[in-house]
This record gives sequence, C-alpha cells and structure tokens, in this order.
Amino acid sequence: MADIMDDMYREVILDHYKNPRNRGKLEPADISYEDDNPLCGDRIRIDIRLDENRRVKEVAFSGQGCAISQASASMLTEEIVGKSVDDLKQISKEDILELLGIELGPVRLKCALLSLKVLKAGVYGLDKTTDSPNSTDQSA
Amino acid sequence: MFHKFEAGTPAIAEGIGLGAAVDYLLNVGLDRIHQHEQAIIAYALERLEEVPGVTVLGPKAERKGGVAAFTLAGVHPHDIAQILDTDGIAVRAGHHCAMPLHDRFQIPATARASFYLYNTTEEVDKLINGLYKVKELFG
Repeated sequence: MADIMDDMYREVILDHYKNPRNRGKLEPADISYEDDNPLCGDRIRIDIRLDENRRVKEVAFSGQGCAISQASASMLTEEIVGKSVDDLKQISKEDILELLGIELGPVRLKCALLSLKVLKAGVYGLDKTTDSPNSTDQSA
Repeated sequence: MFHKFEAGTPAIAEGIGLGAAVDYLLNVGLDRIHQHEQAIIAYALERLEEVPGVTVLGPKAERKGGVAAFTLAGVHPHDIAQILDTDGIAVRAGHHCAMPLHDRFQIPATARASFYLYNTTEEVDKLINGLYKVKELFG
C-alpha cells in the first residue's frame, strides 16, 4: 500500500477509530458542547465533569464522522483527564497534530481539529449544546 | 446602444472554447455518448452492489446519468475517498451540495463516482478493487 495511506491511516488512528476511548455522554456535565463541519458532516460533542479543583474528572465524546475526526477526539479525551481548565485553554493545533502524528492537507485538517474546536468553545464558556450551529462554511 | 452596458472584455476565449467543445461532442455523437454512459453506469451499479456493505443510493441505471452515490458500512466517505485517491481513483465525498437530502436519508455523507465518455469498465473494476482495499484496512 502507498506510503501516504500508511501514514494517514496509521495503526494508532485506526485503533482509536475502531475502539474509541471515553465514548458516550455525561449528563449532567459541567462543560458540554457540540459542533460540526457542515462540509463533510463530521460531528463531535464533548461532555466534561470537573472536580472540586476545576480539573477534568471525567470526559466523554460522541458524534460521527471520518476516522481522522473521531480518532482525534478519542485521543484528545485521553489527553485531558486531570488537566485544569486553564491547561485546556493552552492546548494548541500543534498538540493535536502531534497526537495524531500525521501530515494533513487543508481539508483533512478541519477533520483533525474539530474536537479541539469543540473543546475550546466549551471551555470558553459557551457551555451549551447546540443542535445545529450552521456557523461557517456553507459552500457545501 | 447595449455596448455601453458591457463592462470589460466579453468572454471571447470561452465562447470559442464552448464552440470547440460542442463540435467535439457532436462529432462523437450525443447518442453514442449517452449509450456509453448508460452501459458504464449499469456495469458500475452492478459491480458496486456486489461489494458487501455497499449501499447504492438513487435510481436504477436507466433512469439516471453516469453518477453512482454510495456508502460503505462502517467507513466514512472521506476515508473512502482518501484511500481510493492513493490508487489514483478520484471520487467525490460529502454532501455534494445536497445536505437536506442526506439529512432525509439520515446519513452523514456519501461517496460518489462519476463516469463519462472517457471512462472504461476497467476503471470501474479498479474502483471496486479499491473498495475492497478500504474494507481490508477498516475491517
């Protein structure tokens, strides 16, 4: 198989896609947010419960989409348990790409970063679950 | 009189290009193009339906042009497209500007292969082999 495919569909990514970690919903949750990429139909929701020190006690994600978007969400949830709300605000695009360990073109980058976008939106106080934000990129 | 409302240079090159394209198609023959398109889409739909997990959407071959939209169980169309791309097979993945229809069918997206007069049945076979590769990777 071609190199690009081996790269993009690395064992670890397929593993997270097929056996997602922390999959589900937390109700009630302290932080809860959902968003989608209208262009491709990827959708991610993240629920977080905080402990008394405002650190992530429990996290769950749900949604559907391509392997990259779902694996990225699964990896992110593993990464953030125990982190403070301030730590969450510091997570960067580069951190996510490092977790995934692959090079991505502009289209797939949006898949990879959807979970981070959802996490940030939730953390920055937009703590409501929206059904259909339809915010950007309506050129589908 | 109307010239005063024409801003800039008209699409002269495009007009000439359109003429050349029309000449080309008429030379091949619209009936022959239609026949080829019908034959290849009928073959493509038949082959697609053989693949376990593939669901083809839309009408039967004789009621449509050379497009085949489909899903493959357990694999998002973007992943299908990405993997086929590494074999040089270009399909479109997503909503294809028809999001309400995808909502109606409750599917996040579809993959879509398009065929025209320059496509061959060998290329359909290549697509099918590619789909088996996708299944292997995601199996």
